[in-house]
Amino acid sequence: MKLSIKDLNLTYGNHTALQNVSFDLSSNKVYGLLGRNGAGKTSLLSIIASFREQTSGSITIDGEAPFENAKITQHITFMYNKDYKEESQKVKSLLYGAQRYRPNFDRDYAEYLVKRFKLDLKKPIKQFSKGMQSALNVCIGLASRSPITIFDEVYLGMDAPSRETFYKELLDDQERHPRIMILSTHLVSEMDYLFDEVIILNQGQILLQDDYDSLISKGAKIIGIKEDVDQFIHTKQLIHEEQLGNTKAATIYGELRDEERRNASEIGLEIAPLSLQELFVHLTKEDTDDETQQ
Amino acid sequence: MRHNNSLKVATDMFFVKLNWTFGFLGVMFVIQLVRAMIAILKNSEVDSYFNAVFVAAGIFMFVVGIISTYFLPYYVEHGVTRIDYFRGAFLSSIGLSIVLPAITLIISIVWKFILDNFLKLNIKDVDFNTVVEDEPELIGGIVQSFIINPYIDPTSNWPLAIAALAANIFIFYLVGWLIGAAFYRNLLTGFVFILIGVVIITVKDSLLRVALELPLSDGIITIDQFSPTISALGVLLLIILAVWLIRQLTKRVSIKM
Repeated sequence: MKLSIKDLNLTYGNHTALQNVSFDLSSNKVYGLLGRNGAGKTSLLSIIASFREQTSGSITIDGEAPFENAKITQHITFMYNKDYKEESQKVKSLLYGAQRYRPNFDRDYAEYLVKRFKLDLKKPIKQFSKGMQSALNVCIGLASRSPITIFDEVYLGMDAPSRETFYKELLDDQERHPRIMILSTHLVSEMDYLFDEVIILNQGQILLQDDYDSLISKGAKIIGIKEDVDQFIHTKQLIHEEQLGNTKAATIYGELRDEERRNASEIGLEIAPLSLQELFVHLTKEDTDDETQQ
Repeated sequence: MRHNNSLKVATDMFFVKLNWTFGFLGVMFVIQLVRAMIAILKNSEVDSYFNAVFVAAGIFMFVVGIISTYFLPYYVEHGVTRIDYFRGAFLSSIGLSIVLPAITLIISIVWKFILDNFLKLNIKDVDFNTVVEDEPELIGGIVQSFIINPYIDPTSNWPLAIAALAANIFIFYLVGWLIGAAFYRNLLTGFVFILIGVVIITVKDSLLRVALELPLSDGIITIDQFSPTISALGVLLLIILAVWLIRQLTKRVSIKM
């Protein structure tokens, strides 16, 4: 499926949640949607899943608007941090519901995942721990095998080994049944290896969309004597700097040519790669964050 | 692949609600048994099962209607459209409104058999349609229209009795659904629709009484001038209005997360 979003806006009363958001997701990859709290991630995902309508702009999936379009919506699964405190049903009946309405649902795979996460089949869902409820969402989300599968911070409450299981199963199943998988997360450092492509949303706007590898290659930390560093980075986009005595570390965003790398090495500057987490933190940092730190 | 989700939703919701209905009818049966025991001790009479359910069914369907709203997020989460949910919930409620009185009548026959042969009790003759209020009184009238529904005795005309009860509980269901859907939008809309719901129930009560040629108190609404046919048409219009309002409320509603 192909997802295309153009000039999308969403406002709640006076609050603008999304502003002129445009991007395309055209191949079966794992997309990481990153953004700080309140950046608009869930709002954006809920529009893609037809949970709500945009205020203006367009969203099309395979050329058609998804809202109230059964042909499209049956192929979009949106799993989020759902509140199950009223859910008196057990695992089996929840799986049955998904199986009945999801055309690609794989029951055997769902049962395999339920075993893998050691979910209790006898207890009602509301008695599950938060982590278990999240694992159940993972089971339903993966086993639905929807061409567009969205996990919005679905790991909440899951312990580290369960999260590892989730990531492994996700990659394995993505290999067997490639689809557009959107993972929205705060746990950037833990999940970055899952992403083929990264979209960063900041204050309701798209900050960037890039291949993971290409994005990572654009960030670098230049370390060396202050004057040399300043000289080297003066044409670059500086996103962060730290100084200790006469030594300076400058974090820049932008491609470094081979020639520039050679020059840096000649004048004794060290170029360290940046992790996605560091890039994300610096790119989405607001002025007020610095003030708070000071 | 052609999708027929509205039929799937209708079937699923029908069976879920039918399950609740069996629970409700079961509880009513137990209550009737307890009342029969008391009647034996006091040497008095007991209601027919149909009459007992008749009084409670409207409230039961009203509650089921309210809960129907909460199927919407469930279905949208499973990729079902709001229109398919709406059609499904609507169809399932028609089914339920017909099946509930029919099952009630069957249990009522069994109940009568038990009373006649085992408990040796007589069934009380009740007249729900006696006009209680002489003086027009607003609150009393409204409460009356919620509790005392237009009643046809099943022993005199059982198809009409089923039809009258079905129409009555169907409207209760719709009003519950309407109020539930309004509250799902927001609190204020919810409160406004409680008022609209009360008006619908009260008007329905008067219209249905005229349509069934039952006595009508000159309370809040006096529509003695209407013929039964026009009143029946009025009931139909009321149903269409409620259904249309529900659709407007749920058509583009955002799913709460």
